[in-house]
Amino acid sequence: MKRSSAVLIGIMLAGTILVAMAPQPGVAQRGNRGGAAAPATPPRPIRRMPDGKPDLTGMYQADAGGSNYGLENKPGDGLIPGSRGVVVDPPDGILPYQPWARAERNERVLPHRGYDDSTAHCFMGGVPRALYTPSPFQIIQPPGFVLLLFERMNWRQLEISDRPHIADDIRLWNGDSVARWEGDTLVVDTKNMNGQAWLNEVGDVMTHDAKIVERFTPVSGDRITYSATVTDMLAYTRPWTIQMNLNRQDDELLEAACHEDNGDLPHLKDVRDEYRAKNKKEK
Amino acid sequence: MSKRMNTTLILAGLLAATVATAVPVLAHHSFAAEFDTNKPVKITGKLTMMKWANPHAWIYIDVVGADGKVTNWALETSAANSLLRRGWRKEDLPAGTVLVVEGWQARNGSPTANITSVTFQDGKRLFAGSSNPAAREP
Repeated sequence: MKRSSAVLIGIMLAGTILVAMAPQPGVAQRGNRGGAAAPATPPRPIRRMPDGKPDLTGMYQADAGGSNYGLENKPGDGLIPGSRGVVVDPPDGILPYQPWARAERNERVLPHRGYDDSTAHCFMGGVPRALYTPSPFQIIQPPGFVLLLFERMNWRQLEISDRPHIADDIRLWNGDSVARWEGDTLVVDTKNMNGQAWLNEVGDVMTHDAKIVERFTPVSGDRITYSATVTDMLAYTRPWTIQMNLNRQDDELLEAACHEDNGDLPHLKDVRDEYRAKNKKEK
Repeated sequence: MSKRMNTTLILAGLLAATVATAVPVLAHHSFAAEFDTNKPVKITGKLTMMKWANPHAWIYIDVVGADGKVTNWALETSAANSLLRRGWRKEDLPAGTVLVVEGWQARNGSPTANITSVTFQDGKRLFAGSSNPAAREP
């Protein structure tokens, strides 16, 4: 092959990967090195199931703007990436924390608290964190259900039903979800949370009392507008809402055996134990 | 086109893609809790093993100290899945390859680091997909 052809191929490859990795709504062709270019065509129409409901099936990734490192807008700080801010209500983008919960959140970001984040232990991130954890997920839509399969060691079964929630004394990482269609929007009510999951790595707070209403609204064949309204009056002064896009992408779920080699956990424990020992001496 | 040129072009493509985009990273814990921004490291060593694992892949290199003592460093990257999506392949890092790596050492002082980039002897670089924002650009 001539050198000019080789260079051209190299440039095309770079361009292909560049476009594929950008947050695009379009569907990319299958590609082993990250997908390929989104088509320069208008968004595809919303796909429909035989019963006329939107067909959400596919692989998605949230355009989460760093929500896993903070739901509010903030710059990066050292090893903590910045966040775009996804809080749309209150309008100022600030989570309406009660003082104790804001103090707890501020402490969770300190190194000695890193061990306390459930995902560091390979436990699931809960609702709504699983949606904006920076890993792809798959939606499958068998009759009567919408299934969310998160590559990051988690799945949710959303039953389309008007059944009541399970007994209040049953508490789960992902809570109990009941879903319904309101027009083209899938509305998911979740409660029975166990209160152990953080909302992200910096420790935004949600207690066991939280009730979450999620809305999945397809705006094209390749994009879903997602919002989650959290009502948790133990930690906040009012309900609040986050919003982001879920973009369909050409990808596949890969195995993510989190316990396979979680070498970080001993280090995080060292940091915590060292802090505790030092704190004890000072007392 | 020679195999070497092929490799160069692929790595150039990956470099460009990595620099210009904000690919979601696969941290599953706070990097700030485990690694120390006050302990930046830039070390050169010979690759002894690459562990393709989740939740993070690890590169191990032997580093010869000033006193001649060899220390095996454990270098944390993003998850194996993330590296795969970024274009890393097993063949990119055969044992014995001399690498220069940059990152941040663990707070506990062990020869462990979260790395941001890997540079080959000929100057080519791969990016490790750390959750550190500084790692997103060369």
